[in-house]
Amino acid sequence: MTNITHPRASRAAVAATLITMAVPPVFAQSPAQRLDALDARITRLEDLNQIERLQRAYGYFVDKSQWKQLAELFTDDATLEIGGKGIFLGKPRVLEYMQTAFGPDGAKEGVLANHMQFQSIPDISADGKKGWIRSRAYVMSLGGWGLPLYENEYRKENGIWKISRLTGPFTLYTNWDGWGKNALNNTWPDKFDPPPDLPPSTVYLTYPAYYIVPFHYPNPVTGKAFIPDKGPVGAYAAPPGTRVQVDSLKVGQLADGTQPIAEPPKD
Amino acid sequence: MMRAGKVVVHLCCLAVVGSLLVTTPAHAQQSLEARLASYRERVARLEDQDAVENLQATFGFYFDKGLWNDAADLFARDGTFEYGQSGVYIGKDRIRRAMLLFGPQGLAQGYLNNHMMLQPVIVVAPDGKTATGRWQGPLQLSEPGANGIWGVGIYENEYIKEGGVWKLAKLHFYPTAFTDYDKGWAKSLLPMKGQSALFPPDKPPTVVYRSMPGNYIPPFSYKHPVTGKPLTDLPEAADSVTGRK
Repeated sequence: MTNITHPRASRAAVAATLITMAVPPVFAQSPAQRLDALDARITRLEDLNQIERLQRAYGYFVDKSQWKQLAELFTDDATLEIGGKGIFLGKPRVLEYMQTAFGPDGAKEGVLANHMQFQSIPDISADGKKGWIRSRAYVMSLGGWGLPLYENEYRKENGIWKISRLTGPFTLYTNWDGWGKNALNNTWPDKFDPPPDLPPSTVYLTYPAYYIVPFHYPNPVTGKAFIPDKGPVGAYAAPPGTRVQVDSLKVGQLADGTQPIAEPPKD
Repeated sequence: MMRAGKVVVHLCCLAVVGSLLVTTPAHAQQSLEARLASYRERVARLEDQDAVENLQATFGFYFDKGLWNDAADLFARDGTFEYGQSGVYIGKDRIRRAMLLFGPQGLAQGYLNNHMMLQPVIVVAPDGKTATGRWQGPLQLSEPGANGIWGVGIYENEYIKEGGVWKLAKLHFYPTAFTDYDKGWAKSLLPMKGQSALFPPDKPPTVVYRSMPGNYIPPFSYKHPVTGKPLTDLPEAADSVTGRK
């Protein structure tokens, strides 16, 4: 198995390690260290591909109601939060959510529920064990159009990437009349079965209100992190400073600052 | 024999101790040359995937605008083109002419032929000579005198590297639903076109299925990304018309 180059390579690595302590690493890297760095960069590119592939595979399973296959994409301790429905804890609850809310496994005649996945911004942690994607699904369904946004987390377990957190807040949902005439409200914990394990992480309204899902990554040019708005979320879109905009900040807002989502937008 | 055995054990122990001392990863066991060669391969596969992704996106841009000559040039010498239930056209020249069934070269006033290419799952073979790709394809269509159409479907394609260049070996688009722009899926379901009498295909469709209200699952070219199992025999409704179970 081993060959004569190994001890020599190890000694070289030790020597290189010692040298790097004294001089700038860029001049001191041994060939083996340079290859280590190369390996890490290639692995990162492969990992970025893998988590993108994972998210796209998720979308294809949703399209055809393949819930068992879909649940297998998640870690055992994964969390799932879609729209305003609340948080589901663990892989078995992910499966239960899908099968209870959307029916048993299998593509059914007369049903269209495509969740087309695109515009992904993938990132991998420095240690290569975690990943994140911001992306969107464009829903083309029997009922109309929808636009969830994802800010998901992924984890590498024994060399295989899995979804560890799926967060899919809604931007808008509408029937075939379109969002100009019929903007559907967000979901809420008891809108349909099963009930969630935890309430929604954020209470927000969908279009014509708006909610900016925090970005997992900084602005790629300035490097500035996204600072989530500390004010009420779900403000109606209107020019800043106008009465409509100011009033809308209080629409449906409770004393604790949250906004109940069981009522559709009033206007 | 005993002596030789002892020597081997001794060397192994040295190797283990050595690796523990500097905690070098397993790949340090390989020679630098072997590592470099393996990394070259991995980079090549990433480049292959990128090239395949761009190839398919390029096909989409050409096909959108009726640039049939450019689109057909993306196919391998004996490449195949299959769209819904229209049958299989084989070879660049046949494919080029079959595309005229979608409208004139360069399209014309009143035509809309948008074939968006989203959600690729590309798998490049370990030898880097072939690849497969699944894509999601929403459609925006129109012809002069007709109302607009929304559509959607799945591509399951095969790619081949010929002379260092990636080409389409098999383009198979499975449209799964069409509807009138104004009516929507609940009120309007438009059928797929059949085989052309004007310019018949070289072979009949490789699979008989119907678009919505049928809910056909185009076969997956890739394995489940976590379990690694093939995605065959997924549950789907029996089709009352085609008899598919």
